[in-house]
Amino acid sequence: MEDYKFLFKIVLVGNAGVGKTCLVRRFTQGLFPPGQGATIGVDFMIKTVEVEGEKIKLQIWDTAGQERFRSITQSYYRSAHALILVYDISCQPTFDCLPDWLREIQEYANSKVLKILVGNKTDRDDREIPTQIGEEFAKQHDMYFLETSAKEAENVERLFYEIAAELISQARSKDGSSAAAAAAAARQADTGSSIGLSSLSAKAAQSNCCGGSGSGSSTSQAG
Amino acid sequence: MADLKVSDMVNSLDLSTTEKVDEGLLRIAEKEAEIDARLESVLSKQCHIEARLSSIGRAMATLVIVENDSNKLNQQIVNTAQLAESVSAKVRRLDLARCRASECQQRVHDLIDLQLCSQGVVKAISDEDYEKGAGHIARFLAMDQQLLKRTADDVQGSITSVSDAVKTLEDATEKMKDLISKRFDEAVQSDDLASVERFFKIFPLVGCHRIGIEKFCGYICQKLSAKSQKELRNTQDIAKAERRMHLAYADRLTAVLENFARVVEVNQPIIEAFYGQESNSLLDMVTILQRECDLEVKNLLLEFNKHRQIQYRIKQVNESAQRSSGAGSNNSSSMQSLGHYRKPSGGSIDKLNPKDIDAIIAEITVMHSRIELYFRFMRRRLQVNAETCLQEADAQKKILNEYEKIVNRCDLSRQMQEILSTYLLFERYFMEESVLKAIGLDTYEAGQQCSSIVDDVFFILRKSIRRALTTQSINGTCAVINNVAACLDGDFVAALKAPLKSGYPSGYIDLAQAYNAIQTSLQQGKLHSSDADRVRANFIVQLNNADMSTEYIETLWQAMEQEIAGTFPSMSAVERQLLDSCLTELKNVRDALKATVDFGIQQLRSSAIRPRLNPWVDEFLNYSHHLTEEELATYEAGETFVQYFIVQLDGLLNSFKNALSPRNYDALVSILATEVTNRLERAIKKSTFNRLGGLVLDQEVRALGTYLTGATSWSVRDKMTRLSQIATLLNLDKVAELNEYWNPENNSDMPSWRLTSNEARTILTLRSDFRMEDIKRLQL
Repeated sequence: MEDYKFLFKIVLVGNAGVGKTCLVRRFTQGLFPPGQGATIGVDFMIKTVEVEGEKIKLQIWDTAGQERFRSITQSYYRSAHALILVYDISCQPTFDCLPDWLREIQEYANSKVLKILVGNKTDRDDREIPTQIGEEFAKQHDMYFLETSAKEAENVERLFYEIAAELISQARSKDGSSAAAAAAAARQADTGSSIGLSSLSAKAAQSNCCGGSGSGSSTSQAG
Repeated sequence: MADLKVSDMVNSLDLSTTEKVDEGLLRIAEKEAEIDARLESVLSKQCHIEARLSSIGRAMATLVIVENDSNKLNQQIVNTAQLAESVSAKVRRLDLARCRASECQQRVHDLIDLQLCSQGVVKAISDEDYEKGAGHIARFLAMDQQLLKRTADDVQGSITSVSDAVKTLEDATEKMKDLISKRFDEAVQSDDLASVERFFKIFPLVGCHRIGIEKFCGYICQKLSAKSQKELRNTQDIAKAERRMHLAYADRLTAVLENFARVVEVNQPIIEAFYGQESNSLLDMVTILQRECDLEVKNLLLEFNKHRQIQYRIKQVNESAQRSSGAGSNNSSSMQSLGHYRKPSGGSIDKLNPKDIDAIIAEITVMHSRIELYFRFMRRRLQVNAETCLQEADAQKKILNEYEKIVNRCDLSRQMQEILSTYLLFERYFMEESVLKAIGLDTYEAGQQCSSIVDDVFFILRKSIRRALTTQSINGTCAVINNVAACLDGDFVAALKAPLKSGYPSGYIDLAQAYNAIQTSLQQGKLHSSDADRVRANFIVQLNNADMSTEYIETLWQAMEQEIAGTFPSMSAVERQLLDSCLTELKNVRDALKATVDFGIQQLRSSAIRPRLNPWVDEFLNYSHHLTEEELATYEAGETFVQYFIVQLDGLLNSFKNALSPRNYDALVSILATEVTNRLERAIKKSTFNRLGGLVLDQEVRALGTYLTGATSWSVRDKMTRLSQIATLLNLDKVAELNEYWNPENNSDMPSWRLTSNEARTILTLRSDFRMEDIKRLQL
């Protein structure tokens, strides 16, 4: 019934009111519900997408931004494949809190987790954080960067699809390395058998002088 | 058509011979007779048909009469219908008239009542008979005010009397409202419950539903506030009296919430009876009460935080978390924090003992679940209320949605979330510290396969999840499950893996080395070998622990799934998915544990099996495999290679058999079999054989296979297949014999060949008595 190749967990974090829930709703349901109440604890949505011909199941965890839910939301960091850290481009304090969020991520999340910085609400006229500042911050902290508008549906699809694509390539390279190891092992096995063969042909030459080399070559050809 | 048929028939006849012509004639004659018969029967029907036709002619005449009759009937029906129409029109007019008459009567009644009421109300007010007065006013308010105005306009002559009455009543209503409010306030002041309730019931009569609810709630809130303040002051004493000190504040919170719940429960029927027409009344009441409830709970929690030193403890927990995360940065967090734990906990003052917060955690869970129950109770009450007052499902839903908004906005919810946050913080600390303690106090009793750590850790984790369930919060339960997974994946797996990583100390490679080791340990004054023994035992125990844990985790997961289903019987689909997804994390940890077991087994392979196995197998090379009959007899009389080998293997396996858990032992036998067969195959390939040497080898491989199969419940026969096939090849009488074996259809009892044709040829060359040409000539 559930035919998907990969399952990825994506967790959204960031201050209250930066638009995490709206981003998720926009992506999973194509809606922009105005007057969205504060999220309580965590919310959970699933969307299956197709990237590069592969069916990918995305489990999206939408967390509450308020401080008092922190001990709930923190517990979800560990199993996340990707963490989306969201701030509001029209609200300086949400940007100023980013280092705190990074500290928390550092403490609870897997060190190899994919981190994406998202400046949301590009539809607003009262921008306070220039794109460049966000970009620099992301670069400094080894994160991907994107500016979005959940209201105008700008870059929302792109955000999640790019995350999916990146996670696939990460998973593939992991598979790939093991496949490469397997290939190497196979190669080794090959050389092993070819050594056996050459020793055989050597032996054959010893035991039977006339036409020995010919027999050796025929045996190795058969191999 | 008949012609056609005849001509067809004629054409189809074969007239080439006389006989055929005769035969054709005969068939034509037959046909003729048949047609004659049919004509006869048609003709015989003629008279019958004629009779029918004449009867139809007669019937036609009758039909004309029938038509006339029916026309007449139609006429009559039309007449009747017209008549009925006119009659019903009259009835309708009558009905209308009757309606107007009764309306008129109603108006007259209203007027009479109006008169009566206007006279009665003044008297009632002056008599202080408020119920009666309010009854008059209610009657007046029930009248159609517009209609009254029109009536007043209609009866121009007596205009004064009607509009006077209306005016009197309007004035009286205002006066009554003021009066009741005043009397109510007086009753509140004098704390006269009977009067309060009396006037509470009068408010809706004079159309002041909202005011009535507000005033009454104000009164109740005042009462409750006084009561709860007093009780809050005496919290400690009450708890002491009830011997429930550890739950003092939870009990107090329960009492506060119960008070509010009781008010709603007691007054719901009154409100439905007296305020029924205003469907929002109960919601209004709950809303007002909630404000007071928020306040009281807030005060209570302030006391709770102060007495239970919550803030201080949160600080302690956070500090210790920071310490361990600081230690974590140098990549050995578990060992560091373990070391930290091993310090005498009494010595460090700032370190919070998990036992100290155990009771507080329990109290917090009770508090949280009480609030959850309180909201559930209110929801149910409002639903019942909405169902009795409102018919449409939409309106009922609206009330409940309205309540959800109140719940989301109210301070109590916020407090509840704070409580949950504190709970989760403490629970995580308790769990992590207790698990570290269990790891630190890990003891192993001789004769057991596992040590205390597995039972202890899983006991703690189960306790934590169970306690999370008692908060009645799905979010909280999910978070605790996540933390459990993190804890297992982190500290627990690390603790199991650490001894596995350092490897299984193998025995001394040779005597000289052992002698040197003993010398040094003697010089240092300690026995080195006992140290290695301990490391060895620890390795095995942790390997068993890891194996056991995979089973425990499954049990835990299943048990929790059931308990969750029992605790939250009415989960939504999203909540289900949320919990399932968190539980899946536990499964992932199980995989990590399985990987740990595999890792340990590999360690055993490289340090315990290989170094000892290899010299034993290499013994094989010391035997000659070119045997004469006499040599064979001598060989079989003495200790054969396989006897020696099996004794050695048996010794090795026996040293593990009782120590390892059954699954681990099977895994060990499995890798042992792999190692043995690989190594032996290599040794065989290094040797050469004659006929008898091959025979001996075949016997020995069979003996080895029988031994290994018997060593474990799990089948290792499969692993032996390749080796026994090699032995079969070397045991052949003649090269050509192989052809009989090689084809699968010739040997149904033998598994398919694991050797390629080239490998088979290579192996055959090991038989020194086989000729190369014969081998080459083989058709494989």
